[in-house]
Amino acid sequence: MSYSDQIKDVIQTSDVALFMKGTPSFVMCGNSDRALQALRRAGAPVTAVDVLPDPQIRQELSAISGWPTIPQVFVKGELVGGADIVEELEQTGELGEKLQAALGEGYSDSREETTVALT
Amino acid sequence: MRVYQFRHIRWRRKCSAVLLRRAYAAGYHRLVSTQPLRDLLEQAFPDATELDVIDRTGGGDHFQVVVTAPSLGGLSLVEQHRRVYEALATPLADGTIHELRIKTKGTP
Repeated sequence: MSYSDQIKDVIQTSDVALFMKGTPSFVMCGNSDRALQALRRAGAPVTAVDVLPDPQIRQELSAISGWPTIPQVFVKGELVGGADIVEELEQTGELGEKLQAALGEGYSDSREETTVALT
Repeated sequence: MRVYQFRHIRWRRKCSAVLLRRAYAAGYHRLVSTQPLRDLLEQAFPDATELDVIDRTGGGDHFQVVVTAPSLGGLSLVEQHRRVYEALATPLADGTIHELRIKTKGTP
């Protein structure tokens, strides 16, 4: 499967997809960390994808999403935004509302973090 | 005569160093680095009621931009940020902007 297909697959099948530099256990960029921390505060079940192993991943992701920078957060296939937006939505409480609307009441029960490596 | 010349040069060097340091302390280098981005944003958002570009590190490549404009009203945050990315497409593509933080607001 091409990167592009794998990226689309993660976006469409994950409750919350986070494309970031590094992984949740080893974050490689301050902005990726800001997005991850905001998602954690909101209790989001995050599926993280590291874009660093191959520059091609980043290019194909931006071609799909029309968003030029990393990180990128998707909820149920919809682009929510980058670090600034996710942080802002978390501070106003809108992120929690959005997650609840998209994933249902008990969305934060599992609080699981999954890391997906693209090949 | 030679001695005087040298003194003169040394004095001038000292002066320009002092002026440079003062200009740096006053933050002029930050204005210089942010003006091209400010120009691009002013072109894209002529109706902006608030428009600011901050050089976050003083290195001329990490920026925070703030735009409040009626033309952003009714748009989602994703769409608002996209307008800013479009306005700054050239400096984003050529590497002038290494990192960009965006704060937007649409007013009715």
